[in-house]
Amino acid sequence: MKNLLTSQWSRPVLLIVMILILWDVVIRVFNIPPYLIPTPFSVVEQLWNEWPMLVKEAGPTTWATLGGFALSVLVGVPIAMLIAYSKLVESYVYPLLVFSQSVPKIAVAPLFVVWFGFGIIPKIIIAFLLGFFPVVVSTVMGFKSVEQDMVDLARSMGSTRLQMFFKINLPQALPAIFSGMKVSITLAVVGSVVGEFVGSNSGIGYVLQKANGNFDLPLMFAALVVLSMIGVILFALLDVLESLMIPWHASQRNDFQATA
Amino acid sequence: MKRRSIAVSVLSTLALSLTCLSANAQPKEKISIMLNWYLYSEHAPFFLGKEKGYFEAEGIDLDIQEGRGSGPTIQAVAAKSVPFGYADVSTMIKVASKGAPVKTIGVALQKSPMSVMGLSEKNIKKPEDIKGKTVAMTPGDSMSQIWPLFLKKTGLKEGDYKVVSGDGQTKLNAVINGQADLLLGYLMDQNIKIQDATKKPVTVIPFADYGINMVVSGIIAHKDMLKDKPDLVKKFMRAATRSFEDATKNPEAAVDAMLKANAKAGQRESLIIGLKLTTPLYHTAETEKLRPFRVSPKDMNESFAMLLEYGGLEKSAGKVEDYYTNEFLP
Repeated sequence: MKNLLTSQWSRPVLLIVMILILWDVVIRVFNIPPYLIPTPFSVVEQLWNEWPMLVKEAGPTTWATLGGFALSVLVGVPIAMLIAYSKLVESYVYPLLVFSQSVPKIAVAPLFVVWFGFGIIPKIIIAFLLGFFPVVVSTVMGFKSVEQDMVDLARSMGSTRLQMFFKINLPQALPAIFSGMKVSITLAVVGSVVGEFVGSNSGIGYVLQKANGNFDLPLMFAALVVLSMIGVILFALLDVLESLMIPWHASQRNDFQATA
Repeated sequence: MKRRSIAVSVLSTLALSLTCLSANAQPKEKISIMLNWYLYSEHAPFFLGKEKGYFEAEGIDLDIQEGRGSGPTIQAVAAKSVPFGYADVSTMIKVASKGAPVKTIGVALQKSPMSVMGLSEKNIKKPEDIKGKTVAMTPGDSMSQIWPLFLKKTGLKEGDYKVVSGDGQTKLNAVINGQADLLLGYLMDQNIKIQDATKKPVTVIPFADYGINMVVSGIIAHKDMLKDKPDLVKKFMRAATRSFEDATKNPEAAVDAMLKANAKAGQRESLIIGLKLTTPLYHTAETEKLRPFRVSPKDMNESFAMLLEYGGLEKSAGKVEDYYTNEFLP
């Protein structure tokens, strides 16, 4: 029992339980009507009743998130490498990247539906646009922080550029890349839901719209819970991958690290 | 010399202020009404009434606020953030059945403008033509909920057509760009926008032609306000009734008044066409001889029954009389 209470996962769960209790108490004390904020019990009830439907709709959202995230990494890391290694590329491209981040994606989302249709593509693109920047920024920093001494040592021992890249530069940049990827994946979830709001027959965004239209606040909150769970699970998966790929890094030393 | 000029100036200021005071003898109360959406033709009567001084004559300094959907507007009225709202009555009934203390005090649009529409070149003139086409709708909104009833009344089935879902802007884009053949919309709103954008005519199939009639927009207020300030409510409705009557007789003036207040409200000609399509909806066969806003119990009962069967309204919603009243009308 003592082990269970002090185990890794008990602490966030305990905090969630405390928040639920506080939520219920606030509603009772201030007499908040159900059409403004639902009670935690009604949300849990909806979660239970609509679980099969919510899981089914979580599928398309997750696929769009993963697709957008994959694009962010596949496109973001090479661009970041170019920026880190070439002052020319950096001076041309970096300011434009920062500028593009300020464009509110929800405003251009309807345009994407016009250009790319109602399928999964516009959602992947919006998820990509949201998740791309953190990957680029942290990857640039990762590659720029490679210890120059190590590189010089390796070159003095006759290593080729490719060997240096895979044995020194990339491993040293990985911790930063992973931290960028973790931020990116949570943003990619947001991106795919935004895409679904604007034009979709399926997905959690669709459930949110229907719940909104029917004033079914418990269902809306239940859908938000499922959405957050998707984010948490994906984040945890990245965490596991990180511990496998950079076990030697300082951040992996503590037994419980939720963020890098 | 100096003392005389001071005396003159003091006396003249006093005289001026006395005349000002007598002109504005009635203190004006600043009252806001939150609309159901961004400005479009349906809202013009309020601007006409404000310009002609109908609200002023009742001691009301009217402030017209754009809204972001009937839902948020109803919630704002329920939370007492605004005293009056102009929103979809069917949506209001649903929110009120969940506990929101709101009531409608005047139903403006008693005939439903809900329709399915598309570019005329697609040749979709009768419901049978919908088979095999793509329809764009917004999940959760009132039209997509009544759609199954339309299918039933016209003999169509799910699967006879394809569906794409999106928000308001996406629906419009889809039809304008050909991604969808039809959309569900109001017959004085989206068809005008599509015509403006594509310069091509639009064919509209109104739900009302197939016996589907639900009341739409109305003025709503918090129940506490009806209890505590009945005179203010009566004055507001008197001014509103005059505004809507005038707008029926002179839609051009109403649109001009709206454009004067907000030049970005739309294209003048399109707004006038839209308003002319809207004013016939102020009355049904039951209320033809009456002034605007006076909805008939029969029409309200019909809408309530449809909401119970198709609109997602629960049986615990009670009686329709809990949701509307004509007692504040002139």
